[in-house]
Amino acid sequence: MQRYLNLYGAFLGQQFKSYAEYRANFIIGASSTIMMQAANLLTVWVVMQQIPDFNGWGFSELLLIYGLITLSKSINHMFADNLWTVGRVYIRSGQFDRFLVRPIDPLFHLIADRFCYDGVGNFLVGVVLLGAALAGLDLAWTPLVPLYILLAVLSGGGIFIALNLITCVTSFWIMDSVPVTRAIFDNHLFAQYPLTIYPKAVTTLLTWLIPYGFASFYPASYLLGHDVGVYAWAGPVVAAVLLFAGYRFWQFGLRHYSGTGS
Amino acid sequence: MSIDSVPSPSQFAPPTAGAVSYNEISRSRREAQTAAPAPAGSLMPAIEVENLRKVFYISKKDPGLAGAVKALFRPRFDEKVAVDGISLRVEPGEMVGYIGVNGAGKSTTIKMLTGVLVPTGGTVRVLGRDPHRDRVANARDVGVVFGQRSQMWWDLALVESLNLIAKIYEIPAARYRELLDEFAATLELNELLSVPIRNMSLGQKMRAELAATLIHEPKVVYLDEPTIGLDLIVKERIRDFIKEQNRTRGTTVILTTHDLGDIEELCQRVIIIDAGHIIFDGPISTIKDRFGKYREITFEVAAGAARLELPAGADVIAAEPRTLALRFDRTQTTASQVAAAVMSQVDVRDFSLAEPDLSAIVKQIYNGALQEEAAA
Amino acid sequence: MISYLRRQASIYGAIAASVPKRFLAFEIWFWVGLVLGAIEMMILVFFWRAVYGQTATLGGLSLDQTLTYILLAQVFAALADQDLIWEFGYNLREGLIAHMLLRPVGFQTNYYVQALASLATRMIMQLPMALLATAAFGLRWPTDLAAWGAFLVSALLGYTALFFFHWILACLTFYTTEVWGLGVLVYGLTRFFSGGLMPLAIMPVWLRTLVLAIPFAQSLAIPLNFLSGITPVAEAPATWLFQLAWVIGLGVVSQLFFRVAVRKVTVQGG
Repeated sequence: MQRYLNLYGAFLGQQFKSYAEYRANFIIGASSTIMMQAANLLTVWVVMQQIPDFNGWGFSELLLIYGLITLSKSINHMFADNLWTVGRVYIRSGQFDRFLVRPIDPLFHLIADRFCYDGVGNFLVGVVLLGAALAGLDLAWTPLVPLYILLAVLSGGGIFIALNLITCVTSFWIMDSVPVTRAIFDNHLFAQYPLTIYPKAVTTLLTWLIPYGFASFYPASYLLGHDVGVYAWAGPVVAAVLLFAGYRFWQFGLRHYSGTGS
Repeated sequence: MSIDSVPSPSQFAPPTAGAVSYNEISRSRREAQTAAPAPAGSLMPAIEVENLRKVFYISKKDPGLAGAVKALFRPRFDEKVAVDGISLRVEPGEMVGYIGVNGAGKSTTIKMLTGVLVPTGGTVRVLGRDPHRDRVANARDVGVVFGQRSQMWWDLALVESLNLIAKIYEIPAARYRELLDEFAATLELNELLSVPIRNMSLGQKMRAELAATLIHEPKVVYLDEPTIGLDLIVKERIRDFIKEQNRTRGTTVILTTHDLGDIEELCQRVIIIDAGHIIFDGPISTIKDRFGKYREITFEVAAGAARLELPAGADVIAAEPRTLALRFDRTQTTASQVAAAVMSQVDVRDFSLAEPDLSAIVKQIYNGALQEEAAA
Repeated sequence: MISYLRRQASIYGAIAASVPKRFLAFEIWFWVGLVLGAIEMMILVFFWRAVYGQTATLGGLSLDQTLTYILLAQVFAALADQDLIWEFGYNLREGLIAHMLLRPVGFQTNYYVQALASLATRMIMQLPMALLATAAFGLRWPTDLAAWGAFLVSALLGYTALFFFHWILACLTFYTTEVWGLGVLVYGLTRFFSGGLMPLAIMPVWLRTLVLAIPFAQSLAIPLNFLSGITPVAEAPATWLFQLAWVIGLGVVSQLFFRVAVRKVTVQGG
């Protein structure tokens, strides 16, 4: 375990070294993600100037939800971006075999091999939104609050990564897993706003099947004093279960790959 | 960095002070070392393959959406036997060429040897281990060059890639520095250490690739098309380097390539696979003696002759207005007999006798010379 | 003269026909695209329903009007898309620019025809979205033929203006290697400024002025205002003239930019 931590540090270090050359790319990548979010946020802001509240939620409360999901998303974006492209880039070209010939876990190698700086744009947006939200809200500031937020963001990130992993395993069968990943990933867009505005089916989907709800809605509700019962603390459990399932599925996919050579 | 002050390569290596203690080597590596099979030079073969079989199941599917849906509910499969019960043994320190036409089962075999693919039947043992089941332990002792697919990181300076590889393979710092200096010298990498792979020429890339593959001192190395696309001079250097490594370190080398020049230079033994079977496994000299019975002799003529009287065992293989190419069986007739026969019937300006060429011989083997021989 | 036109027609016809083939090469993306489109549509509809939760009108528009506008914006979203930046970038990277300049076809016309064919293909592929909007979200299609007429003319004018605008931006790819970045930047701006996320009437005055001052809204927001009934048809001719001015202006500038950029390529090499 210690060794893998060191190794991850080494991977990261090497990538940062090559990024000095790609400063322009970094700025553009980060700005592009910021731009996408800005369009949505601008819409929300314009609208909130003209209405008393949004289904019972105020502007800062909306920012809290949006900020939490963006932060969770950014963790996946920064650290697990290589999972998206495993089929197109690694399996199709045969480069994946290289991972199987190295004395380290292939999944670790795959993930460690790429840190996506675009994700930093999302991270910054998330931090700013969270800051703006907390500034505009009147939360009782106890030491529990920042810890809870940290836990929520980490579990949210875990959920994003787990779903990313589960969908990317399909590339062992269909080569290009990106459509599958997109079909699941885009469901997180629902969770950018309070789940209460959607019909029951959607809320169920985002709580039990594709549980992005635990990355934003439930933690935000808890922080704002709404009663969500046990859902307030289920995030980490959901993340752990999904990650475990994802890893088992990955191993299953790897066995298939070694059996059929793709 | 100025030209006249190129630092020694080990200055790029991460600065870890002091000798590497036993505890620094992770437990898995220690286990691999203690569980390692006998070192080179012992009686155990480096590679042992027994009745290896690989069958692929290709799904048969009608085109279009209807076909796709049908395939989902009632899948039909075609069986394709890529490797059909091959057996071979490679001793430590051997350099073996593994050749065959595309689709013969070469890469499938290599994939099973490297542990990437699971066999359908039979056994594979590399250094006494099952390369798939003991993947990690096997990976430490094995190096692979996948032709043009570099194992290094595209944007990293070469030395940074090597540093990362050293970390992955847990090469002790002092040993890594020694090896780095050695490879930088023998492969002339000093100027290239700070260059990222994407900026290197093909020849430079291959030299770098070899360093990356051998720096963890693997006992067995699989080289897939190591000299493809390279010019002659660079090819020579690469071949010399591989020969040297095999000589000094006793590295077992399995070479798969279409470049028979590589094979001739490097390998004492050749294995030929065709349609999933091994059709030849022996020294190169045997090939030449056994199959090199045909020689070609080409005449430059003033005018063609309608019908030629030729000694037994000689045939015309090409007749053009100005050239006449003949093939003759060395066991039945001689070059001088053939030449005399032709020159007595046709006005010959010039002629040349071709050396038995490994590629021509191999072509014949692909075309069934083995069957001919068996029938003869 | 006739034979010349016929030849031109057959050449451009072939170019146009090649575009749908490129789109249809991606079967699974078709289905996934439907899912993604459905998600986006659902979020928009429920978002605006929640916004109107306690209000009757916003910017003078009722929930019905806004939803009609938003849903139509989804169905006709292709009006805001252009591939020029990517195409130029791709051609440049592959060294194909010289290739293209040698073909006996008007360079800009070639791309314009492709753009129109692209638009048509994308529109057809959005039919499932149109069905979804009607069946699941109660989109009421305008029955006023005059509104449709105003919309179609306005859309064509706006799309052409946008084409020229993207042409100018694409010329920038000749000067920078950051093609991807440029493309994403423009895509990000388009998202809001095309007017697809929110009817112009709901925007505060300063924002609305800004949006109308740049060409992004030309192809989507302005035509849709007619179709959704927000802008009365009587104002159509004036709007068309306004849009025509944009078309001519941008058209001329695009030719200029292109000439300068080509000089750079042919003199300094792509």
